[in-house]
Amino acid sequence: MEEDDRCSSSNPGGIGQEEEDEDGKVLRFLDSLDTYLTLLDSLSSTLRQGWFEVASARHSMGSSRISSVLLDQKVQSAATTFQVRKSIHGSPSESCPSFAISKWASSRDGKCSFGELEVSHVRKTSKNSELRHRGSSNFYDTTEEHDLTINASSSISDSNVHQERSKSLSVFGTLVSPRLRAAQVSFETALDAIVEIANIRSSMLSAFTQLQQQMKEKDLS
Amino acid sequence: MIADEDTVTGFLLAGVGNVDLRRKTNYLIVDSKTTVKAIEDAFKEFTSREDIAVVLISQYIASMIRFLVDSYNKPVPAILEIPSKDHPYDPAHDSVLSRVRYLFSAESVASGRR
Repeated sequence: MEEDDRCSSSNPGGIGQEEEDEDGKVLRFLDSLDTYLTLLDSLSSTLRQGWFEVASARHSMGSSRISSVLLDQKVQSAATTFQVRKSIHGSPSESCPSFAISKWASSRDGKCSFGELEVSHVRKTSKNSELRHRGSSNFYDTTEEHDLTINASSSISDSNVHQERSKSLSVFGTLVSPRLRAAQVSFETALDAIVEIANIRSSMLSAFTQLQQQMKEKDLS
Repeated sequence: MIADEDTVTGFLLAGVGNVDLRRKTNYLIVDSKTTVKAIEDAFKEFTSREDIAVVLISQYIASMIRFLVDSYNKPVPAILEIPSKDHPYDPAHDSVLSRVRYLFSAESVASGRR
């Protein structure tokens, strides 16, 4: 008899399924809301660190060397950019764009994406694990050339990034305080957080729109 | 970006600054002399440009043009309100959170119960 009761309560004409869907949407919305607030808190700390470093650099280099007057001097294109991919869930009105960051793209190479830098880093780490077994087999001799090519391309990417970073710092003069370099790193970290915030915001608004529509349909029925 | 000098300087160090041939920038530095009209014009310009995916605006500046920010509802460019040096982030004033607060208001709970 207990089993019958369980069966009847779990599927009363499909309404239980709808409630589960609604609960799932509410949970998704609340999760993204929580993540949004946590990421904003993390962004605040990173920005605070960055402002402190900019203030320290200004103290050591002088206010005239770090001022907005220097910023508009020459034509420059952004080395760090965002990419947007629009995805549509369900109806065309519910677009949920996703954002990605491309850091320090070289203007000569066009879009040398951060993704490529990540791949080269992954290959580097796998090469390091192979080093532990170097000498145990002839197989690794043939991979040496391949490893050298990977090393060369990753060092070219690293040097491109270094060049772009230096170009960004050169607005403030040839010799800059280490604090300014540290500030650059802090604000780069802040950009990573911003991309995550943009994505979670998009997800939160999409979940909210779905919930709103469901509530409207419920009211009409 | 629509923010104070230090915030814009920092993000420009990170490589997001763009100055085109007509000396038009993708940022506006707001100080005590910047008018609300200038902020509004910059916001309208950045939100209508196709080469901008995210608009970063300090929350205290967004509050100066709150009506404009709250009435913006396109998915791209995304508007992110960020803290500034002198004004920490306040979730109560965030336009995205204001929009979704409706779900937790007494009215929505009461209508659900009916």
